[in-house]
Amino acid sequence: MSLQILLNGISTGAVYSLIAIGFALVFNILKFSNFSHGATMTASAFIAYFLVASKGWGLAPTLLCSALSGAIIGLIGEFIGFRRILLNHSAPTYFFVSSITLGTLYEGLVTLKTGTNFYVYPNFFDVATVKIFDAVVSKENIIILAISAVALIILAFIIQKTSIGRQIRAVSFDRDTAKLMGINSTLIIQVVFAISGFFGGLAGCFLGIKFTLTSTLGSLVVKGFIASVIGGLGSLTGAVIGAMLLGIMEALFLSLWGSGWATIASFALMLVFLLVRPQGIAGSNVQEKA
Amino acid sequence: MALLEIRHIYKNFGGLRAIDDFSLEANAGEIHGIIGPNGAGKTTIFNTITGVYHPDQGEVWLDGNNITKLPQYKITHMGIGRTFQNIRIFKGLTVEENVMCAFDPQSKYSIIGGILPTPNRIREERRGRELTRQYLDVVGMLGYKDEKPENLSYGNQRKVEIARALICKPKVLLLDEPAAGLTPTEVSELTDLIRKISADFGFAILLIEHRLDLVMSISDTIHVQNFGKTIASGTAKEVQNDPAVIEAYLGAEE
Repeated sequence: MSLQILLNGISTGAVYSLIAIGFALVFNILKFSNFSHGATMTASAFIAYFLVASKGWGLAPTLLCSALSGAIIGLIGEFIGFRRILLNHSAPTYFFVSSITLGTLYEGLVTLKTGTNFYVYPNFFDVATVKIFDAVVSKENIIILAISAVALIILAFIIQKTSIGRQIRAVSFDRDTAKLMGINSTLIIQVVFAISGFFGGLAGCFLGIKFTLTSTLGSLVVKGFIASVIGGLGSLTGAVIGAMLLGIMEALFLSLWGSGWATIASFALMLVFLLVRPQGIAGSNVQEKA
Repeated sequence: MALLEIRHIYKNFGGLRAIDDFSLEANAGEIHGIIGPNGAGKTTIFNTITGVYHPDQGEVWLDGNNITKLPQYKITHMGIGRTFQNIRIFKGLTVEENVMCAFDPQSKYSIIGGILPTPNRIREERRGRELTRQYLDVVGMLGYKDEKPENLSYGNQRKVEIARALICKPKVLLLDEPAAGLTPTEVSELTDLIRKISADFGFAILLIEHRLDLVMSISDTIHVQNFGKTIASGTAKEVQNDPAVIEAYLGAEE
């Protein structure tokens, strides 16, 4: 495998990681897969396009706008979609239905504004490629990889080492006990939705840069979802590993067989993987002590 | 006014009357034992005090504040700490993190501090860590701070739970069957620990326990519950000789 393919794969994997992390964070704390995540990505990428990028403000403001929009959409979603269900101690199915409904709503709103047209972010880079050793790599891939890596490292630090991170972990393990230990679990859940949305916004913007902006951009969320399942649902490290594997595999298959077969091949391989190791890479199969 | 005042609380679950007019007044430094057969509503009393349920009637006052309808985390902030009948420790967090995360809601640093190492955050993290170690030391678990709690014995898990309750700075500490599943040696260690923290911290302790020897030996006042009703309350001697108590525990004489 050439360095070029590897770097492209890692860069795609980094974007999938951002998506997968957004999923895994919410899954951890509420034990359901948030299917409105894809539409959150689309909506924030478009908000950044219309508010910032179309005015020619460059990459950093666009990214920031997209990420912040994602965080705000996450917060709104938590409030209108999940808060009541949560306080009611309802079954996970309700969360599931609510998240699909929310996602469809967001996608509908985006389509109202954009129709089925394609939009393209302006070129953020003067020089399109850089040379690393003998590999020619697109500059956007390098930048995407770097920013994603920094974001993931900061998140890992927050989760592992800070007060808010410990509280997130405590609420993830046992929400009821956490409340009795003085943790405001509603606030912690809001923070998690904001972080998840923030990462969704970043991912949405990157996907818009790598591909084109359409109202169905969010369907790429499937990649992040698969990555988080492969990694072991709920495990943040697993999600990143799964996403990287998926990204590299896709880049490899793409160079070997072209885009049509690459997608089919990578999905087929994922299915085989789940057959062999259904709990995912980092998922544990240990029985709980009764 | 007493530190903790429970005034005539009632709680029904459907047709079941789990608490039927329970009142209690506890002052700093006192240990109150709550005993009674299974299903007598003892844990429901704790759940009502800590806000897991709100009582159908009646009020709970802590240090002059009505805490009856507050959300759970606020009740904890007001000064009620507790442990659980079936141990509820956060698996996956280390012993130290388990205790420290109960300090975290008190630590004051902003979202920005979550991302950037501001001086404020460094100071608060240090304060939290010091307090955590101090309380782990009180319960004798400092040596286990980096262990995963699920690998510890029940006795040690209970001690971690007690340390986690202590760091909430309680004015009233609720211990729900702390001796359940412990060996005799562990029970006597636990008895000493409860006496020690009661003397050192001067809070009121409410203790649910089935081991009558433990309850009788350390409680100032004992409340005997049966089918949600208080059938007797007083010193260990008084309740031991109360005919209603003997009837509840041994059955009525024919």
